[in-house]
Amino acid sequence: MKRGGQEGAMRELANERIKVEGLVKDFRPGLGLRSRRVLNEVSFSVREGEIYGFVGPNGAGKTTTLKILMGLIRPTAGQATILGHPVSESRFRQEVGFLPENPYFYSFLTAREILDFYARLSGISAADRKPKIAALLRDVGLEHAADARLKTFSKGMLQRVGIAQALIHDPSVVFLDEPMSGLDPIGRKEIRDIILKLRADGRTVFMNTHILTDVEMICDRVAIIVKGHIRYEGPIADLLRGDDMDSDVVLTRLPSDLGIRLQERYGSRVKGMGERIEVRVPDKDVNSLLTASLGAGAEVVSVTRNRHSLEHAFLSAVREGTASYPNEQKEMEKNP
Amino acid sequence: MIGSVLRIWPIATNTLREAIRNKLLYALLFFGVLVIGASVLIASLSYVEGERIIQDIGLAAMQLFSVGIAIFVGIGLIHGEVERRTVYTILSKSITRSEFLLGKYLGLLLTVWLQLVLMAVAFAGVSAAAGASLSVTHVVAVLGIAMELAVVVAVATLFSTFTTPMLAAFFALGVYCIGHLTRDLNALGGQADDPVVRGLAQGIYRVLPDLDSFNFSLYAVHGWALAPNDVLWPMLYAVGYVLALLFMATYIFRVRDLK
Repeated sequence: MKRGGQEGAMRELANERIKVEGLVKDFRPGLGLRSRRVLNEVSFSVREGEIYGFVGPNGAGKTTTLKILMGLIRPTAGQATILGHPVSESRFRQEVGFLPENPYFYSFLTAREILDFYARLSGISAADRKPKIAALLRDVGLEHAADARLKTFSKGMLQRVGIAQALIHDPSVVFLDEPMSGLDPIGRKEIRDIILKLRADGRTVFMNTHILTDVEMICDRVAIIVKGHIRYEGPIADLLRGDDMDSDVVLTRLPSDLGIRLQERYGSRVKGMGERIEVRVPDKDVNSLLTASLGAGAEVVSVTRNRHSLEHAFLSAVREGTASYPNEQKEMEKNP
Repeated sequence: MIGSVLRIWPIATNTLREAIRNKLLYALLFFGVLVIGASVLIASLSYVEGERIIQDIGLAAMQLFSVGIAIFVGIGLIHGEVERRTVYTILSKSITRSEFLLGKYLGLLLTVWLQLVLMAVAFAGVSAAAGASLSVTHVVAVLGIAMELAVVVAVATLFSTFTTPMLAAFFALGVYCIGHLTRDLNALGGQADDPVVRGLAQGIYRVLPDLDSFNFSLYAVHGWALAPNDVLWPMLYAVGYVLALLFMATYIFRVRDLK
């Protein structure tokens, strides 16, 4: 059993595609000014083939973390590796794709030309470039605009170009910074489908986002960062399954005395009266309620387990985080 | 090595494509060609040595307007890429920051050399039309301007890695002006009694570029003879100086945070 557990841990370790340990980043706003800590001992890991959501309010440190992972800025302390390589290296980036937030491209180029540019940077041979670019343009729905200049593109179209350039070299790990921001519902759905396809193809996706419904819909695991601290990291299902969960039980043909007893015990949590009622009970009470109801001759119509919404979990984490580190910046400025 | 060249070349060609869309480049090129053409009118005001005046003005115009293009197009070279965040997607590929910077340098150098060729063609046309003689020394004079441009573009690249375009333009113009005075400063300082002043003048001469060493205009205009070493040494000096500047620029660009 112990050996199995060790093997499982080893397997998990081997599957880690992104590993961040104790990442710290201080920014100095200007010469002579005291530094400000924007990341504080940030640690998390992303496994092979999963969609990982990195969630936090504005200024929490999401983009800073992503920039460190992309080698654009250097950490003050801590380590980050992608596919086992330190992020300061550049050669392994052949395996990495990146879509920055609100991507900007050379607007004088066409979609086909900009993809050709990135393909050349990625070392793709001339023979492979043409079919590869055509296939990608088709995948992101830009076939019709392949030869239009990027300056004529809408935000959603530029986002698609951004995704296409991130995938041009067939990377196994893809980083997306706010991939759905500014898109209409149709655009969001299409980008979501592309991300799900990436996972289906066996790629690992790391996604910074504000849009919690998208995270809830597609992410396997999530980290919530608040004021540079990780407040939660783990499977999204665990985050949504709190200790104080409720279930809605719908009963019919209920004897009146049982209805009265339930009314007395759960008060406003009981809805409807007479033959059919709905009662919201803590998970721990579900079994006893069902036993009592069935014993009294009632019928159970349904039992629905309530899940916490990600928004609820996110707001709780932000509130707790804000309460835990209210004066962090001031302390940092006192002790730079 | 081949891999590096394959990554640098797309950056260089793209920089060239971007630079030739810059309206400032065309404005400076237009005025450069205009001054070269107007040299005929200015020469007509003089009773003597009209051909020399045409070529003096022509070569000076080529030099000044080329340097203007090198500085004012080059200053935003790196800063613009970081500001517009185009650099994010580029550096996420397997290209190093040094390769990116070398590509940008090469692209701008190709741009200014291309417009230098255009101005040289205009210069040759005006000289021929005015009956002024043209020789190999004139080609060497243009080569000298090309060498000077290689140094000035490297200076602009260096400053663009760590400061704003306005400051970079200010610094690069400063280096260009002092670069044409370093010989005189060294000569003047050498006559000073104070060893500190002498040392300072020599220090400036050694550190800042000696841009006058690339000036072969007088040889071309007056038909003076040039020995191979007169061209070879400045050429080696330009290569060495450019490598030193690019080494500093890549170091600064490698260690800086791209916020």
